[in-house]
Formats: sequence, C-alpha cells, structure tokens
Amino acid sequence: MLESHENKLISEIEDLQKDFVKITDKFVKEITRQDKIMSRSDKRQQKEYDELMALKIEIEETQKEIIFTMGAVGESRSKETGNHVKRVAEYSYILAKDYGLDLAECEMLKQASPMHDIGKIAIPDSILNKPARFTPEEFEVMKKHAQLGYDMLKHSQRPLLKTASIVAYEHHEKWDGTGYPNGLSRDEIHIYGRITALADVFDALGSDRVYKEAWDDEKIFKLFRDERGKHFDPKLIDIFFENLDEFLMIRDRLKDI
Amino acid sequence: MENLTIEETKYTPKITLDTKGIISLVGKSYPENTFEFYTPMMKWIEDYFENSPAKKTVINMEIIYFNSSSSKLFFDFFDMIEENADNNDIDINWIYDEENESAEEAGEDFIEDFEELNIKLVTK
Repeated sequence: MLESHENKLISEIEDLQKDFVKITDKFVKEITRQDKIMSRSDKRQQKEYDELMALKIEIEETQKEIIFTMGAVGESRSKETGNHVKRVAEYSYILAKDYGLDLAECEMLKQASPMHDIGKIAIPDSILNKPARFTPEEFEVMKKHAQLGYDMLKHSQRPLLKTASIVAYEHHEKWDGTGYPNGLSRDEIHIYGRITALADVFDALGSDRVYKEAWDDEKIFKLFRDERGKHFDPKLIDIFFENLDEFLMIRDRLKDI
Repeated sequence: MENLTIEETKYTPKITLDTKGIISLVGKSYPENTFEFYTPMMKWIEDYFENSPAKKTVINMEIIYFNSSSSKLFFDFFDMIEENADNNDIDINWIYDEENESAEEAGEDFIEDFEELNIKLVTK
C-alpha cells in the first residue's frame, strides 16, 4: 500500500519532469531562434546603414562633380579666369568662417562659389573677351550674366546648387544698393552674395585681365577701405583685413601661371 | 475553399494562395504590424491543410528585404508547415538573388532549423 502510493508519486513526478523538459526545450528553441533573428537583423541593419551612407556620399559627390563640371564649362568660355574661381572659393571660405557660418555651410559656399560667373557662358565671345573697356551697351549685356546664371540654377532643390544660384544671382549686388541685377542693399543681399562679391572683386583687381593690368596691393586696400559700407559689407571688410596674411598666401599659392 | 491573393504594396509582398497547391510570397516584407498582416495567410494555410490539401504543395518564397518581425513570422510559418509535413508532399523553394547575402543566410537558417522540411535554396 505504502509502496504503491510511493510509486504513484514517483510516476507523477516523472510525468511532470517530462512536461518540464518538453516546455524548457521549447523555451530554449524559442530563445535560440530569437537570438538568431536579432543577430541576423542587426547584421542586416548595419549593412543597410552602410549602403545608405554610401548612397549619401554618392549623392554629395555627384553634386560636387556637377558644380565642378559647370565651373569648368564656364571657365572654358573665358580665357583669363585661370585659377580665379579656385581663389574665390578659398577666399569665400575664410570670410564665411569668420562671419560665423557653420562649417558645413562654409564648405558648401566654397564649393558653390566657383559658379558665380556661370551665366557668362551665355554672353557672346566678342563681349566676354573684349580687350578694352565695354561700351555702355556692352556693359548692359555683360551685366545680364548674374540673372542668366540664376536662371540656369534656380530650378534645383539641391542645397549645393541652390547656394550656387544665390551666389550667381547676387555677387554683383552692393551693400549700399547700387549694384545689379536687383539693387538690393545691406542684408537684403544674401550673405553668400556679399561674401562672393568681396572675394570676386579682390581677386579681379589683383589679376591681369585682357583690358587691364593687376592693381598693386596698396591701391586695392585703399579701395576696400573706401568702399567699406558702400560696395561691401563693413563686417566682411573687417574680416578681410584681419585675415589679410591668409588671403595673400592663398593668392600666392594659387597664382596664375 | 477559395483562392486568396494579396497584392504587393510598398512594404508588403504579393501573396498568392492557390487551392491547387501553390503558396507564393514575392517582394519585401516590412509591414507595420507584421503578425496582423500575415493573419489571413496563416489562417488560409491552416484551413487548407485541415480541409483540402492538394496532392502536392509547392511553396515559393522570394523575399528580397524583410524586417526582424517578418523573420520571426517566417519561423512560425515553417512551424505550421512542419506540423503538416508528415501527411503531405511539400516542396519549399527559397528564391533569392545571388548578390543578396541576407536572403541567402535567412534561407540557410530555415534549412538548419527545419530539418524535416524539404527547403531548397534557388538562386535567380
């Protein structure tokens, strides 16, 4: 009697054990599976992330190449530019940085600023490369390059090309409102336009052109001091003089051969 | 029993369930609520094996991208198939592009986990 009672208990426990083993086996299987799913999933996500980053780089590089290629197209139309656009790019970067733009924006402006004269590809050779001063009529044609450049670039929603369109449009505007094409003044002119204006003029004055020889530095500096708050944003003129050594180093490093 | 087709969307695969013995999933699997999305399919398959399985059942799965809950669901799916494997003739083709390493690895995982199922890796 006692024995059989014991036996029953044992058999019940043995049944429980079997159930327990079955259930724990199932748990182990589920957990193993779950682990596998998680680790595979992590691996996949990492791969997808890598692919996304590669695509992002690809897009950025494509934009840079477009800008660079268009800049090269612009340069090929006009013989005197040489390293002009590269110097303007470097000058723009310094001015943007000290003006307080964040570094990503400085970098973008640097890449976009070589496009400032892209509208010149629509200006006739006879005017573009004229080895003398323009007649008033010719100057009016020449001035159109700002609007033309803007019209070429304005349709893009890409940040780099948008920046380029602003630069092309506003780099001949003047602080006091006497520039073109729209006679904007002060901070109506986008900071990109104000920066490129100064960088462009500094480089143009210091370079030989078909219609003029390079100005000497003192003459350029005097003009900049005179035009502070007239042609140019006074804050940018101050930044220019504060960083003069750096500007001269860039000019030397990227001089026309 | 009727056939069931669920059309492909941006995040979910095309599902074709044919009483002649064809079960096919083609596309991506990123549903917002995975288990809810696959409920009609799972229910159909349950009914199919219970009521009117064809002599031979062919399952074609060509899942290009999938999220982790889909991968969990595919395990559940194969569990259900495995329960019916003894009484049915079932072929499973896990179809993937040669360059799609993730899809290949997932197929290998299923083969490893479901030894009783006849899962074939088929490259496109």
